[in-house]
Amino acid sequence: MEVGLFVPCYVDQLAPGVGLAAAEVLERVGCRVVWEPRQTCCGQPFLNSGAAREAKRLACAHLERFARFEAVVCPSASCVATVRRHYGEIGVGLGPEGLRVRERTFELGEFLVRRLGRVDVGARFPHRVALLPSCHGLRELGLGSPSERVGATPGPTEQLLRAVSGLELVFPSRRDECCGFGGAFSVEFPVVSGRMGRDGVRALAETGAAWVTATDAGCLLHLDGIRRRLGAGPAPIHLAEILAAREGP
Amino acid sequence: MRLPLDARARVNLPDDRAVARHDAAVFDLRRRRDAAVAALPEFEALRQRAAAVKRHVLDHLDLYLERFEARARAAGAVVHFAGDAAAHNRIVEELLLERGARRVVKSKSMLTEECGLNPHLEARGIEVVDTDLGERIVQLRREPPSHIVVPAIHRRRGEIGELFHRHLGTPAGESDPVRLTEHARRDLRPRFLAAQAAISGVNFAVAETGSLVVCTNEGNADLGMTLPGLHVACMGIEKLVPDLDDLALFLRLLARSATGQPITAYTTLVTGPRPGGELHVVIVDNGRTRLLASPTHRDALACIRCGACLNTCPVYRRAGGHAYGTSVAGPIGAVLAPALTADPAVRTLPLASSLCGSCSAVCPVGIDLHGQLLAWRREVPAAPARLRWAARLAAALLARPTLYRASGRLLRLAWPLLARRWPGNPAGGWLAARELPPHPGASFAARWRRRRAP
Amino acid sequence: MSGDREAVLARVRAAAGRRVPHPGVWEGAPGLTDFPAFARILAAVGGEAHGPLPERELPAALAAWADTRGAGRRVAAASAARRLCDPRWETLGEAVAPQALADVQVAVGVGCLGVAENGALAVLGRDVPNRALLFLAEHLALLLDVRGLVPDLHAAFRALPEGALAPPGLTWVSGPSKTADIEQTLVLGAHGPRSLAVFAFESTLRGG
Repeated sequence: MEVGLFVPCYVDQLAPGVGLAAAEVLERVGCRVVWEPRQTCCGQPFLNSGAAREAKRLACAHLERFARFEAVVCPSASCVATVRRHYGEIGVGLGPEGLRVRERTFELGEFLVRRLGRVDVGARFPHRVALLPSCHGLRELGLGSPSERVGATPGPTEQLLRAVSGLELVFPSRRDECCGFGGAFSVEFPVVSGRMGRDGVRALAETGAAWVTATDAGCLLHLDGIRRRLGAGPAPIHLAEILAAREGP
Repeated sequence: MRLPLDARARVNLPDDRAVARHDAAVFDLRRRRDAAVAALPEFEALRQRAAAVKRHVLDHLDLYLERFEARARAAGAVVHFAGDAAAHNRIVEELLLERGARRVVKSKSMLTEECGLNPHLEARGIEVVDTDLGERIVQLRREPPSHIVVPAIHRRRGEIGELFHRHLGTPAGESDPVRLTEHARRDLRPRFLAAQAAISGVNFAVAETGSLVVCTNEGNADLGMTLPGLHVACMGIEKLVPDLDDLALFLRLLARSATGQPITAYTTLVTGPRPGGELHVVIVDNGRTRLLASPTHRDALACIRCGACLNTCPVYRRAGGHAYGTSVAGPIGAVLAPALTADPAVRTLPLASSLCGSCSAVCPVGIDLHGQLLAWRREVPAAPARLRWAARLAAALLARPTLYRASGRLLRLAWPLLARRWPGNPAGGWLAARELPPHPGASFAARWRRRRAP
Repeated sequence: MSGDREAVLARVRAAAGRRVPHPGVWEGAPGLTDFPAFARILAAVGGEAHGPLPERELPAALAAWADTRGAGRRVAAASAARRLCDPRWETLGEAVAPQALADVQVAVGVGCLGVAENGALAVLGRDVPNRALLFLAEHLALLLDVRGLVPDLHAAFRALPEGALAPPGLTWVSGPSKTADIEQTLVLGAHGPRSLAVFAFESTLRGG
């Protein structure tokens, strides 16, 4: 299958390894990965800050650039949620062509599990890893069962991690408390965001995990920044990077 | 440049210890809610039904208001309508003054907080005593409630002990919650017995029967409704439920979502005045019809004030209720405030969220709270001008792939500069709470091209 | 004020949409109705459940319970007095001012329905006309005919007798008065009863 790799702007600039890892995993499971060079940003930061006009402009361009792919895969849950769940709110992607692209846009893990039916991607990562489910993936894309709801069934993120050889999966005491990133929120409300982040890092550290993983690199950049300031806490690693890992025993 | 909620959060809860205490106390309610919900197999079905009934009611609100009014009148209640807070306060004031009632006991009502009823009545020489323990605490402290269900959750026992020592003459240093509660009880009992009127809020109004429903754990509203002869009940237009079957539905959800109790200790249905007494109902709009008229925001009127969204909100728990500067704090407060108050400061409240969506997931009536916050961000030009300009500039760059990549290269060059603290550093907001990550190296685009090069 | 009435209703009318139909009556499967289930929930909300006892044993059981609740004025609502026939209880007349009940130590009334799901009892104005008794007594006992147990509030509202809402009103009582407003510490007896006991009984007139 030919897959359009959707590398969000912040991954492109700040966490390039995540994009490469996603490509590697997709190729490993037999996809032909195409990176469309004119892609920039899906518009999420603008949509989230109420700049609808700017968001619209970027959203339209985004849909156009990915129109030709059978599937669009992205290692960032919040960007996928933006395309799939929120474009409609600003009147973008409501026509048949736009809807087609939106419906075919997947977060990496959900694409592997729900579209390809692959849980084991041949990864090995013999470490204790704490999972911090990124909120948009959890509650808007259903990549797991949020703790607010009754009847939890593990979603694709957890299924994939459990199939990684040698990996010990652990959870912080509040399994899906927001880490406090929230894009512009983190810089406009640094006091509150910092408090959320410090609580998050401390709870993650209590699990004894060496690593913390998430489906959004944004959460991880924030937690890493907090960890560096606190001087303790698990190191960040994106889900794609774990799935790409083939460490020895 | 910091937005009001963030600045107030620091004043409200000055350090990480204060934050941890507040966070733990509030999150405990969320845990209790989770346990209660898990014990009720049909909770999710009830929740979906509650959402449907509320939407139906809002869609037929005029019919239900008129039906309620007719049935309540037939039962002997007097029904008043108030267009805004001022009209509400005037009606209550006149009812009290005409009957010479100068000593009034009041049970919890977020509506009267919203309308500023207490100061209004006090300015006219009427003594209003809040009788819910938490409300009494904040009343004695002359501060607003910080939570709609547990108004004094931001105060520690020591502070309350000191407050009671000053106002109620409790022994100095007394901080035991059991003994402090007993002192409050002894102070309030004679006030109940001497009260000439009672003011209460309303949890639900049943259209079919003309009944008012009042829920408390302390029984304070009931003491008010049974002791003085005059009872004034204040409610927003959105409190209507069609019939008793629907009331059962909401009662099964309310306390479970609020505190994890299966039902509040006392749930009273008042249909008409008691023999020899008077019952007045004041139905208030105060901006609610503006919400009703908005296709995007009318859902916010479905709220039953359980407080679950506050308890789960990671921002509320770490900022404290007073940081919102509104009568209702938390996600629902931030959703209601831009429609219900003219104060421009509240317009930035919808920005004070990471949009984690936990509020929407706990809401027992299915309000898409974080979606509402997002919608307000689009509608109200709340963001400071500097942000709007930054957005415009960034979008202009991102719309042109070549410019975008060029600015990425610039960002990499500037990285060491951004990582350091200096006035005017554009990364200042980031650095205020955390370090910049290590230099990311070459961009994905550059590495991809290199990797794919033959 | 009628000016506000018309204006408010006009605004509401203009904004109402008349699109969403009512979902109809609740048809969820009812849960448990047995007394142990009710007693378990009542204990969890700070109350205590006794029985079910044969009806004739009520006076002795209540007297024994009341003796543990301190000396003082004992008042029975007329509905309960009828079942007790015990002269140690003062029978409450309807004409008494509610303020005159401020010194009641122990009160007993009759509940009409018990809800297994939430431990609540419906107390009707018919049975306790002077409702202040429920909130002023230091300790409260409520009698419940076990045949009045229902699984949940949906069933409970359907089972209410005719005229149940008549003034002075209907109160669902679930446990004693309580507060947790000081540092989330649960304290019983915030204002009214410091304890609540429910005495379930089996009527001697079976099936009657």
